[in-house]
Amino acid sequence: MEAPTEETKVASPDDIVARVADLHVRFPTAGGVVKALRGVSLEIARGEIVAIVGESGSGKTMFGLSLLGLLPQSPSPEVEGSVVVAGVDMLAGTTRDVREARRRWLGAVFQDPLTSLNPTMRIGEQLVERRISRGAAIVNLREAGIPDPERRFHQFPHELSGGLRQRAMISMAVGVPPSRASPIDIQTGAVLTDGRGSPQLIVADEPTTALDVSVQAQVVLLFDRIRHEFDCSVVFITHDLGVAASIADRIAVFYAGRIRELGPAAEVLRTPLHPYTRDLLNSRLSINDIYATSIGGEPPDPRAEQQGCAYSPRCSNAQADCVAQHPPLAPRSKVVASGEVACFHPVTAAPDITRAPSHSKDGHHFRIATEPVLELRGVSKTFTIREGRLGLHRRQLHAVDCVSLTVPKGGAVALVGESGCGKTTTLRIATGLIRPDTGSVHSPASAGQPQLVFQDAGSSLTPWLRIGTQIEERLQQRGVGRSDRRARTNEVLGLVGLDARTASARPRDLSGGQRQRAAIARALASEPSILICDEPVSALDASLVIRVLELLESLRENLGVALLIVTHDLAVARRIATDVAVMYRGRIVEQGPVDEIFANPAHPYTRGLIAAIPTTEPGQLAPTLAGEPPAATGRIQGCSFASRCSFAKDNCLTETPLYEVSGTRTSACHYYREVIATPLNRPA
Amino acid sequence: MLRLVGFRFVGMFVVLLLLTLAVFVIQAKLPADPVAVTLGGGATPQLIIQKRHELGYDKPLWIQYERFLTRLFRGDLGTSLRTRSQVAGDITHFAPATAELALASALWIFLFALTLGIWSALRRYGSGFARLFMLALASAPSFFLAILFVLLFYSQLHWLPASGESTNLQPVEKITGFLFVDAVLGGNTHIAWDAIQHLILPSLVIALGPAVSIARVMRGSLIDTMRLDHIRTARSKGLSEVRVLLKHALRNTLTPVLAMTGLQVGLLLTGVIVVETVFAWPGLGRYTANALQFDDFPAVMGVTLVFGVVYVVVNAVVDILQLVADPRLKEQS
Repeated sequence: MEAPTEETKVASPDDIVARVADLHVRFPTAGGVVKALRGVSLEIARGEIVAIVGESGSGKTMFGLSLLGLLPQSPSPEVEGSVVVAGVDMLAGTTRDVREARRRWLGAVFQDPLTSLNPTMRIGEQLVERRISRGAAIVNLREAGIPDPERRFHQFPHELSGGLRQRAMISMAVGVPPSRASPIDIQTGAVLTDGRGSPQLIVADEPTTALDVSVQAQVVLLFDRIRHEFDCSVVFITHDLGVAASIADRIAVFYAGRIRELGPAAEVLRTPLHPYTRDLLNSRLSINDIYATSIGGEPPDPRAEQQGCAYSPRCSNAQADCVAQHPPLAPRSKVVASGEVACFHPVTAAPDITRAPSHSKDGHHFRIATEPVLELRGVSKTFTIREGRLGLHRRQLHAVDCVSLTVPKGGAVALVGESGCGKTTTLRIATGLIRPDTGSVHSPASAGQPQLVFQDAGSSLTPWLRIGTQIEERLQQRGVGRSDRRARTNEVLGLVGLDARTASARPRDLSGGQRQRAAIARALASEPSILICDEPVSALDASLVIRVLELLESLRENLGVALLIVTHDLAVARRIATDVAVMYRGRIVEQGPVDEIFANPAHPYTRGLIAAIPTTEPGQLAPTLAGEPPAATGRIQGCSFASRCSFAKDNCLTETPLYEVSGTRTSACHYYREVIATPLNRPA
Repeated sequence: MLRLVGFRFVGMFVVLLLLTLAVFVIQAKLPADPVAVTLGGGATPQLIIQKRHELGYDKPLWIQYERFLTRLFRGDLGTSLRTRSQVAGDITHFAPATAELALASALWIFLFALTLGIWSALRRYGSGFARLFMLALASAPSFFLAILFVLLFYSQLHWLPASGESTNLQPVEKITGFLFVDAVLGGNTHIAWDAIQHLILPSLVIALGPAVSIARVMRGSLIDTMRLDHIRTARSKGLSEVRVLLKHALRNTLTPVLAMTGLQVGLLLTGVIVVETVFAWPGLGRYTANALQFDDFPAVMGVTLVFGVVYVVVNAVVDILQLVADPRLKEQS
């Protein structure tokens, strides 16, 4: 076994749960050798939570999979170095040992609980496969916060909500805690030496990314509880520094297959030394700080040989030696052992709190009473659901319940809410894809057809058609001549910051950010006066998010294109919108100028959502909003939020509220004055 | 779930009704006049007209169809022009031998499709060659395969018999109509072994095509499934590869495999006609082949109806099995 390197100081060798030593993972492909990991060493101590952060392609997922001994096998990887978990070599050990280590000492939680659970097996069957008893499985389900676990035990994954599914997944990752561990293994009869629980290490790969904000905060809390109850370590892989800050003891920042900075979470976040860590922190959208700045350039090609620091092309501190030589990991501080950093020219200045705005904020605020380009007046949409064995019971689902929304010319309105709140149905009504039952959609004839920008640009572009062809298609429908189409295509590509040569590329030739730009260019081709964006950045890396939002901002300012942005992410709304409408169970609960609402929400739901967003302040577990957003069912008597609300009184259950808070703000809360008067319970 | 099954059955009956209509129209519109054929070449025109009136062939078509349907429900498929006996009786006489052959083929299909599907999905050593070999065999027409097998296993190697369902002339007490089953029930192991030997070649010839088609669908579906997230989850729990495959992957591949199986039943039924003729198998296929040579339309139509019913029912069952295999489908319906 490798000798322990000069890693972060840990108590004693016995307390090391996992030891990764100089791990290289390469995948030979037709286009060259993809170097996923380029020499990673990390020790994980018993009971600690280590967050692995970085952009996509940084190797953080490969690192997680190698801890599990589950590296992808086609093409088969070339591996150097070692990964030892609970005494078992996960890469070179025998199949039997590795399997047994996974069963006893490891747990795994993946991003999307819907696809990560077997859709054709009942939850309970999947739990007891870990060779724990049915009783223990039900206890684990209950401990994971699943109400009525006996019933859930017999259900299929698709019958659970997203939050419950992830809780089920987490309860599947754990076995028996030390408090319940028997001194003898029931299956093998082996005497367990130390009464340790199972598992010793949980590898969680983006476990909160697919979840709603309020549920995300609950799941982060659950990990913290499980760590204490099971006395196990957690490797928590996330792209969200806020989530990392709220739960991690240590943070490892990955870039291009290597660890660039490693240390206690508080120190790495408060005084980042690697320029990449600093830039990641600065690129993070937050609802407190709208001046997030993007990281320039693109991550390096994973197939390229690296000479020098891989971050140097994007780094503001880079000097000649950075390009010539690769900086090794060295102690962050010569005085106290507080982690390591791989940088010749680390950040010296304190993080710039008063950053200069990256764009003119004035554009955000001018509000002229212009004609609306899109107006929804009291639209409602009800779907009928069949239930029961014979499908004879019909239930009304009020997806959208009397929603009114106005997008002024050149304005930017964000419609925010959690999954199932009806925002997507509202978007479809706004685009005319579905017809509302009652109410109407107005847009002046001069506004033209609203254009859509979808969440996942990669799949909204036709894979086998050239980008130019796809843009010209839109123009062809409008009878634009051939040469004019060419000219316009080049023009819109220029507008979104793409080269004219992109016209002859196919979607697979482009990066994620370029694809999203191409999709926006396609939407712009017909000169719409409004773009309707459905989660335009939620599939993108943090550094790309800002750039796409900046693009949308510039389109609005330069072309006067109005924006209607549907998003679950309040920080996106904060960054780009002038007005925001918060939706819950089919109704808009609060509406008004974005700054006022985020500074001082007038509805308990908005308040709860804002409080649930993790900040990069280390160790601050976000206060959670109890419960999950329920599916809109039946016609709701009174306030739709009353069942989860701490301000609710008797009349909330009977009277449907709607108040004008000011000339520009409305709130659907009887006690909005109290809500406004109560200070937000979160760090500034 | 129940509602969907109900819908499926209503649909099945509509299809079956349309099938009877098609069979009836073909029969009624055939240039070969059944009356003239029955009476033979010497009949006078008057006699033919009189006989037509007697049998109701001069009535409007829809009345004839109604009569056809009521007779059908009583199990009357008309009289065979060749054997001069009831078609329904002929069919019940010949059906067990065909059913026995079909079941033997189904066994082969199950065995080949499963092993070849899994083997080639896992890309284990030699699976590429096996796929190629099976594909070559399956792309040969069944009469050619039949002759090839007879030449190889009968003429050259003398391993297996090549004609009939038994060499033993000693009668076996009929219980189920399946020779092998009856022989086993009667305690006659010698005849049972003989029956198996006779079954091998014809059932193999029928099975190869459908088995390879199903295996190909299964291979593709398995390869896709093994890439899914929940397979990674299953492995992360420390399950063995065999358990991952059988418990977590196989069931999820069933939907397309079942659909393909349903379609292949049609091929299997037509394959029976050729193969039974080549191997002189005393079943419905050979009965049909003989009837075709004799322009025995009542017999051909009777067999068509029976095959049609089998095909429609099997596919309805496949639809329901798909619901059982994937619980998510119940939700969507």
